[in-house]
Amino acid sequence: MNELSSTIREILVKASGAYGPQDAVRYKAKRDKGNGKKETVVVAKTYRQLREDSERFSAALDSLGEQGAHIAIVGDNSYPWLVSYYGTVNGGSVAVPLDANLPAEELCELIDRSDATVLVYDKAREAVAALSGEKCPKLKHRIATDPEASAADVPEGTLLFQEVLGKQTPGYSHSPLPEDLATIMFTSGTTGKSKGVMLTHRNLAENATAQDMGFEPGMVLLSVLPIHHAYCLSMDILKGMSLGTVICINDSLLRVLKNIKLFEPNIILMVPLMIETFAKKLEETDWLPAPLIKAKVFGKQFHTICSGGAYLNPDYLKRFEKYGITILQGYGMTECAPVISSNCPKDKKDGSIGKCMPNCEVKVVDEELWVRGSSVMQGYYKMPEETAQTLVDGWLRTGDLGYVDEDGFLFLTGRKKNLIITPNGENVSPEELENKIGAARLVQEVLVREKDGVIEAEIFPDQEYASKKKIRDVEGEIRKIVDDYNEKAPLYKRVVSVKLRDTEFEKNTTKKIKRF
Amino acid sequence: MFDQLAEIITNYVEVKKEDIRPESRFMEDLGFSSFDFMSMLGEVEDTFDVEIEEEKAAGIRTVQEAVDYLGSL
Repeated sequence: MNELSSTIREILVKASGAYGPQDAVRYKAKRDKGNGKKETVVVAKTYRQLREDSERFSAALDSLGEQGAHIAIVGDNSYPWLVSYYGTVNGGSVAVPLDANLPAEELCELIDRSDATVLVYDKAREAVAALSGEKCPKLKHRIATDPEASAADVPEGTLLFQEVLGKQTPGYSHSPLPEDLATIMFTSGTTGKSKGVMLTHRNLAENATAQDMGFEPGMVLLSVLPIHHAYCLSMDILKGMSLGTVICINDSLLRVLKNIKLFEPNIILMVPLMIETFAKKLEETDWLPAPLIKAKVFGKQFHTICSGGAYLNPDYLKRFEKYGITILQGYGMTECAPVISSNCPKDKKDGSIGKCMPNCEVKVVDEELWVRGSSVMQGYYKMPEETAQTLVDGWLRTGDLGYVDEDGFLFLTGRKKNLIITPNGENVSPEELENKIGAARLVQEVLVREKDGVIEAEIFPDQEYASKKKIRDVEGEIRKIVDDYNEKAPLYKRVVSVKLRDTEFEKNTTKKIKRF
Repeated sequence: MFDQLAEIITNYVEVKKEDIRPESRFMEDLGFSSFDFMSMLGEVEDTFDVEIEEEKAAGIRTVQEAVDYLGSL
């Protein structure tokens, strides 16, 4: 059953009422075996426990004097992450979920720019917490979520998540309004500086609950995408919970296949990159009967993949159908909380990105798709110019080109904005990479673009500098510059292909490199 | 170990075992996507009965680096 909710608290309260004793979250944890060794066990938390723990977290923020403040959350997908998120937004504060894979320097810049006063971080981000002391003067509190940490393991003054919850009782009753700001999510900007997308409770809650996908309550879902992404947060977590779904947390991208066997999901949200890998996995033993192959890779119970984040070749729909797996392709962007359109099991069309969500409408202006409705963001945090360029009279300019067919299905035909959308759904700003690589003295001009699904940098070296410095192996030096950049960059921002040129790039009238 | 790893690599990308060199780079030379690479390392964990840290895995670029890392576990 699908029911519209207009705040995130409403989603959790309704789910806790309807599915209270059922498992909301399952995840792996290490437990002492008693002989000095550890074993991996599956821990489950019910809908009631999740609600109560999140209320404790809301109360904790209040007791710290931070109710209503901006709370940065950085870490891998985990139960404490979910408790912190729900506790923050349901208690009337604003969550700032950050990309845990970014370098510590960049994370601190975002924490500072978002005006966060509390940082919630996991064990792998201790370096971020340490650096934040110097880089984030507005931060007043740091909360470590590592369940094994004791006061002696964390810097003085750092709070321990378990202790913070333990001091509070459930029942914190604040009811956020639909128009209250709930979350600021950072997304790549076309100028190279990431932008904080401001989303209200209504934006997120209605985006998650407006569309009846026809899913049965109580499905088992394996959550494999990074939780700071709007797609994962809205569709895995918020929509999943509105339907009483059991959300299983994938602990590492290394172990998706193993975790499928362990948790036996019915459904997984994926990005095209993952679908491509799974297609190879299914087809490597294609002499076996299709149902057997499906059972081997995904388990008999598995039936649906929701695809989003990037373009998926429609060919994959048929390739998976052979194994009894339906791929539902959707489309969205963080600025729209994020889903704009989606195919549904009973209402789908090959090659289309589905019909527009019921809470939104789409129009086409000069081939560009514009969206209006209750999912559309309030603007970019402290960026009025960028906001004015993107929001026009309540319409969100998507920057994507497309059309709507006679049955109301949306189709994409190209992109107006200058962003690289990698096959794993990450948005990469070419300018950001150009600025970093171009900072090297030997690089006179650089152009970054997507080619055959990977990031390519075309570089015009500064020959004058090379001869002045007696650099003979210019190509080798350029590769070293790119290697140095790659070493510090997250996987999805790495330059895979390098091309050298011996003439300047063609420029337009404003002396900017012509991109196309 | 190199041989076993090369065998596993051929399950993920279209490359002949004899074309895989220690200095081959997973993404640039062998055509791995980042998710292919992670999935392959998951299989490597089972084959060699080791536990790989995702953070360390992200730093591995060549086949030789993978062999060295696995040998250090």
